Amino acid sequence: MIYLDNAATSRPDAECLKTAEKYLLSEFYNPSALYAGGYNLHLELKQVRRNILSLIADDVNFSLVFTSCGTEADNQALFGGGRRGNVVTTLGEHSAVFSAANELKQRGIEVRFANLNCDGSVNAEHLLSLIDDKTSLVSVIHVNNETGAINDIIKIAEKVKQKNKYALFHSDGVQAFGKIPFRFTKNFDLYSVSAHKLGGIKGCGALIKRKNLVIKPYIFGGGQEAGLRSGTENVFGIKCFELAALKRYKSIEENYNFVSKLNFELRASLDKSLFTILSPENGSPYILTVAAAGVRGETILHEADDAGLIIGTGSACSSNEKKRYSRVILACGIDESSADGVLRISFSPENTLEEVKTAAEILNRIVKNRRDIMA
Amino acid sequence: MEKVIIIRYAELHLKGKNRGWFERVFVVNMEKSLKGIKHEIRRHSGRYLIENFQEKDTETILERLKKVFGIHSYSVALKVSSDMDAIFKASDEVCSKSGTFKVETHRADKTFPLNSMQISAEIGGRLLDKNKEISVDVHSPQFVINIDLRENNTALVFNEFFKGAGGMPVGTSGKGLLLISGGIDSPVAGHMIAKRGMSIECIHFHSYPYTNMQAKEKVIELAKQLSAYSCGTKLNIVSVTHIQEEIHKKCNGDYMVTLLRRFMMRIAEKIALNCGAQCLITGESLAQVASQTVEGMTSSNSVIEKLPVLRPLCGFDKDEIIERSRAIGTYETSIEPYEDCCTVFLPRHPVTRPKLADVEAEEAKLNVNMLVDEALNSLEIVTL
Repeated sequence: MIYLDNAATSRPDAECLKTAEKYLLSEFYNPSALYAGGYNLHLELKQVRRNILSLIADDVNFSLVFTSCGTEADNQALFGGGRRGNVVTTLGEHSAVFSAANELKQRGIEVRFANLNCDGSVNAEHLLSLIDDKTSLVSVIHVNNETGAINDIIKIAEKVKQKNKYALFHSDGVQAFGKIPFRFTKNFDLYSVSAHKLGGIKGCGALIKRKNLVIKPYIFGGGQEAGLRSGTENVFGIKCFELAALKRYKSIEENYNFVSKLNFELRASLDKSLFTILSPENGSPYILTVAAAGVRGETILHEADDAGLIIGTGSACSSNEKKRYSRVILACGIDESSADGVLRISFSPENTLEEVKTAAEILNRIVKNRRDIMA
Repeated sequence: MEKVIIIRYAELHLKGKNRGWFERVFVVNMEKSLKGIKHEIRRHSGRYLIENFQEKDTETILERLKKVFGIHSYSVALKVSSDMDAIFKASDEVCSKSGTFKVETHRADKTFPLNSMQISAEIGGRLLDKNKEISVDVHSPQFVINIDLRENNTALVFNEFFKGAGGMPVGTSGKGLLLISGGIDSPVAGHMIAKRGMSIECIHFHSYPYTNMQAKEKVIELAKQLSAYSCGTKLNIVSVTHIQEEIHKKCNGDYMVTLLRRFMMRIAEKIALNCGAQCLITGESLAQVASQTVEGMTSSNSVIEKLPVLRPLCGFDKDEIIERSRAIGTYETSIEPYEDCCTVFLPRHPVTRPKLADVEAEEAKLNVNMLVDEALNSLEIVTL
């Protein structure tokens, strides 16, 4: 079985699971407990927080709050940061931000959506034109989860602050963390990450925030995570997250180059008379989105699955929504007949060149066959 | 004082010499629905009593009995020996703390010294003496205390009637094959026919890989929900992918649904005959969609050779069907947004009034027998 749906979730790193196993079996204490076992875990989590944080930001100015997933981190950022005036975001956001923004709208906050370029990246000019002195939060996805387009959030954050220095800047970094080399600048306020996209396990994410920034929690309880996210910490998940992240960051450049090769290979091997490549060449190499006009993406997905190749259509989180076409793909200006046949192929450094070659053969064969039937 | 459940049956008392058989099936169905719960079912002239169950199981038993066809109504009662003190004690137990009431007595045991009016008056009087918060209103009381004196020296005392599912015991009206799509209508159609005593087996058509596994799972879930009513059903799943592809390739696309339905009917009839079903059941409602016109039905009926096709929803509006679907508990599953096979190759302008000659001319372009056999080979049976 060839697994090329790593943007949906990735295979947990067996080595990390093994190392973290003791946090399930022997070090099972509640980190808030006062006895030594609990207290030691508390200290350990402190260190873990610093370790993960320091991969992309300095721990003097920023802190990290563990959440149960990337979606929760996004929600915390939006509901915590967007409390007045207006909120500016983009049409290319993952549902975790997009739906939360729509909920903010329901609650009476004005929400403005910036248009996309045809590759799925945000039209930065339009975004900036939407920001005014009443803007309380700007949220821009780092790597578009459907097309892989990278938004230059460092530049965008800088311009946002030039326009309104009080507006908070948030970015959903779920598809970027552990994959795209970059570091925080002083213009960042909030950043969401998730563990299971880079070899950790599901049920663990984090929100990175500027240290002196006070936002209101939206889960209340025992006051864990400096009061921002109550609830007993998922110590095992957090440890897996740390180990997987440290491992990925150790070779982030090599991985990036290797995955770029895989991406390039697939781009080159897909039959251009059957597929249109939607992902930009300067996007994240980890995601390659293509459209097979006239054939439904889901049909290809099932046939590929039967042939031993797992790929995705659009975003896995939205594939059982009533709406048939991805709103992000439509916002890129793709017409409906192509939007129907969108496939998202996403890589991990664990994939091999051979796998990618076989995948291309399978996809070419299936789509050609379907085209003949549907013609 | 023992808690029992009184079951009164619906139309069974109209049956003549074969009534015994109907009743046996009825008891078997009740036993099946109460499987796993400790209980005993006993027959008491014209009604059944469920006894010897544990107090904590009462709610579960009542919930399950709701789905047994053939039950007219049921009540939770206290069973006591037929002497006035015991009857009063039980009456006091079921009596509300305040409000207006009356006592109704049914005396099957004619040897009992008091007649039913006297019993009602006596018990009512004692209740009034004991509780000053209640008063008698024989015309429109807020609650009624029922006393049922049986021949075997027992009395049943209860204050509530629950409406049962009605109908006839499943299994007394033969067996039918329900074409189930995953929409709102077909489970309702199956439920209506099962209610008249027919045991139901289901058949579902899918178009994998054009439809997904979730769509199939949804149908399995719906069939399971139906099986709670019709005492164990089986789901046949058949792929019509190749048939749709062939129609798409060779025929006028506007006839897609019309032709596909004819194939479904042919396949369904073959499977029905094979599994001993005596009719086909569909969820068609007249004029609901393009294919559910009388001409469409003529077209799909004309390929059926031996069996009748029951379309119980023909005269229902969509909102009436939805209401029933909610009542039987299949609505929430039905509206899950997974596509069934009909929508995959949906034509822009489907024919609404197909002429049989035109349909047959289109169909002549296909190797019908081969396609039907091929579909039958894809048969997968899910036991629910």
